[in-house]
Amino acid sequence: MACNNNNQSINIHTYDDDVKNSIIANADSLLTFDFVAANVKNIQVAMKANIPILLCGDSLSEPQKLAQNIAINDATFTQFVHNKNNNTPYRNEIFAVYPARSSDMGNVKNATVANCYKVEMYNYTLNLTSIGIVDINQKKLVSFASLEQTQPEIPQYLQTIAIKIAIASPEVLQAYGIKPNEADALMASTKTALNRTRCERSRHLCVAPTFTKEGKALWAIVDLTDYKLVGVRWTNTGTTGAVTPITQRRLQDDKITACFCEKETPLEKNGWKMNYMLTSSDGLRIAQVSYGNQPVLQSAKLVDWHVSYSNTDGFGYSDAVGCPYFSQAAVIAFEPPKVLTIKNESNAAIGFALEQVFKSELWPTPCNYNYTQRFEFYNDGSFRVAAASIGRGCGNDGTYRPVFRIAFASEQNNFAEWNGSSFVPWLVEKWQLQNAATAYNPQGFQYQFTNNNGGGYYVQPGNGLFADKGRGDNAYCYITQSKAMVDEGEADLITIGPCCNTDYQQGPEKFIGSRPDNIQNKKLVMWYVAQLKNDDTKGKEYCWAESVLENGIYVTKPYPCFAGPKFIPIK
Amino acid sequence: MMIFNTLIKVANEQTKKMALLPLVFLFFSCKNEPVAYQDNECKAQPSFIKNMGYNPARSAFSTSEKKTKGLVLLQINATGDTTGGGRKLYQHNTWASAGWLGPLQIDPNGNLFVGPVPVINLLDNPPSKQNIIYKVDAATGIMNPFVQLPLAIDSNSNLANPYGILGFAYLCQSNTLYASTVQGSTRQQENGVLYAIATSSAQIIDKVKHTDILGMGISYISGSRRLYYGSARNSNVYSIELAENGKFGGKPIFEFSIANLGPRGDDKVRRIKFNKATGQMNLYGLEFNFNLTAPTEKQETIYNFNYDAEQNKWIYAN
Repeated sequence: MACNNNNQSINIHTYDDDVKNSIIANADSLLTFDFVAANVKNIQVAMKANIPILLCGDSLSEPQKLAQNIAINDATFTQFVHNKNNNTPYRNEIFAVYPARSSDMGNVKNATVANCYKVEMYNYTLNLTSIGIVDINQKKLVSFASLEQTQPEIPQYLQTIAIKIAIASPEVLQAYGIKPNEADALMASTKTALNRTRCERSRHLCVAPTFTKEGKALWAIVDLTDYKLVGVRWTNTGTTGAVTPITQRRLQDDKITACFCEKETPLEKNGWKMNYMLTSSDGLRIAQVSYGNQPVLQSAKLVDWHVSYSNTDGFGYSDAVGCPYFSQAAVIAFEPPKVLTIKNESNAAIGFALEQVFKSELWPTPCNYNYTQRFEFYNDGSFRVAAASIGRGCGNDGTYRPVFRIAFASEQNNFAEWNGSSFVPWLVEKWQLQNAATAYNPQGFQYQFTNNNGGGYYVQPGNGLFADKGRGDNAYCYITQSKAMVDEGEADLITIGPCCNTDYQQGPEKFIGSRPDNIQNKKLVMWYVAQLKNDDTKGKEYCWAESVLENGIYVTKPYPCFAGPKFIPIK
Repeated sequence: MMIFNTLIKVANEQTKKMALLPLVFLFFSCKNEPVAYQDNECKAQPSFIKNMGYNPARSAFSTSEKKTKGLVLLQINATGDTTGGGRKLYQHNTWASAGWLGPLQIDPNGNLFVGPVPVINLLDNPPSKQNIIYKVDAATGIMNPFVQLPLAIDSNSNLANPYGILGFAYLCQSNTLYASTVQGSTRQQENGVLYAIATSSAQIIDKVKHTDILGMGISYISGSRRLYYGSARNSNVYSIELAENGKFGGKPIFEFSIANLGPRGDDKVRRIKFNKATGQMNLYGLEFNFNLTAPTEKQETIYNFNYDAEQNKWIYAN
């Protein structure tokens, strides 16, 4: 079943079924396995020691143990085991202690190879390998090297854990058909010819236990930094020549491209129907949206993110979000869209959300970005088109301006603005800024759309009233006419505005021009540009993200700033 | 680092020839007469910078200044610091007119050739102008369009592929500029073209179709004059023979792949250099997926290969 969807999928491309049937494990479902508990405890104990190094998990001879002990007590060998700025321990582990070979000795003098051992230590935090040559007769380190972004051979006990994680993961069972056993796994070591793999994006230690069946091989990429499955994918076996490994990035990019960039996916839930797909540069696009069989939206999408930095005039970026391969996106999707249940304070389900995350690979390091797009659909027929920045960007003086395009389905609409006492129609295309003087009706609505079916929607802008910690959108709202013979943004748009305009000139004004069209009883498009100022003040973080060390591994603390209007049916 | 940053020293490097060049081979091939080795170094200093007060030994043309669109002439300070105080930066008022730039070549007369490459978005690099090669006149410093490579039919509608020109190489012997463009390529179809352009006439003299090329370099190996190039779609490196007049001879052949090498394992080759002193081929590899992900994400790795004359192939060194 291609892309794990039902048969309504419209397949318009040529990726094979192995790609479509691959599975990207849900990053939020941090599976914990009983069999890793003891190892996790060992790590935690090691992290609290003066020398935060987990000793080699494989059995060692007495000379090997002596070499290991000499190495971990050597200041040169342990120079990267702590954060040098605050002495916070990193997660370190001795992976192997081998008898040294002549080729390991390099320029070492005054040591005999027969007395020397090669000690390899992996730093999970920095993805760094330290290599020491220890002379056990002289009881000292005689050579040292460190290699950034490099991983040593993994010890046997970690290979065993990797296989167990793969076997215990439901995604492997789903793909393999039956639960494989340990004997079915081939070559869990990353350094073997057949199943080297990498987690390029997370920069974690990953291996790929591989299960064969009927002439094909199922790659199960396992993250040994987090003890979780990354994903699975079948490949053909029996071919000659070098095997192209299935890596984290390849698994993710191929799956996202085949299943979400090249075809629409239908979604039907709680009376809502729609199709969605990832675009080249306009984020996740929903189309043909209806509720209770009544058309609601022709489409909705996120055209741009404009990011400006106030401390440097004219400095910023105009980012598009979209597909990972062959796209204009500066920030890409590498996890599939998710359908989430929305619950109220009483934990009762009141709707669902369709959410897509776009990330820079190095996020949350400086000048890297994370944008989350979210469509919310409620059981009462209301919906919201929203997005958030989760930092971190290039500074704490940034303003994010997401550009939404929301095209209504009805052929005849009218648009009106609350003036303090009533809704007053707009007659021609125009824009308006939400600010401190903006009037809202008693229910908090600023605008209303009415259609020729006697229905319509109130529009509630982000004003700090949604339960998402949003601080208000300060949004520009533009209403333009959707013309049958002219495409004004229904198809994929290139970046429509520069990074750093601080006024209404964010791009949509180009579709108004110098001669605004009549918008009475017309098909209409709302463009909505929120303005979100980031903040890194402790306790007040907004549009921001921090990396913090937990158990020796950097984890991200996100501080999203959600923005976007909610549409409430007029009853 | 920009994706396709190019920084070329102003000073002419054609100063001395090695007494023993590891790449000098004069074996006979089955079809063609052997070609005598040349180092293919012929760029000259543009005369327009002579009176500008720039020290040629510390100056370079760059298309990769982070906050400066287009071409710049920069001079690093005496300590070699490329970012600190004391450095000088010059930009002629025509040098930003083509948007963000990438590949850069200098000819024996000091003329510069540059190609547009978008950064982050297409605001300054519209698809309709992505196949124009620009020339900076050696005497005046003025940049003007030099050659408009044929536009892909759907250059304005194929929004999934934001790129056009990606790579340049220059053959000194015939004064031929080689330019690769991927405009018109899609996820499914490799529609890129490698063009050979006579710089004297600005005429396209030859082309190889259906090949998406990122980085290129020229060398003389085993009595053959060859253009080496890295695919933009995978980690493979190919070569094609070049005739004395700059036209292509024969068909491209697969040389080797850098798949599984380096920290990422799936780098594409964005630049190829040949080291006269060591005889090595130096490949500059980075992630490239036909998108506009931010340059700060691009980590570059250098892969060095040695030529094994007995096996007649390139062997990965480090």
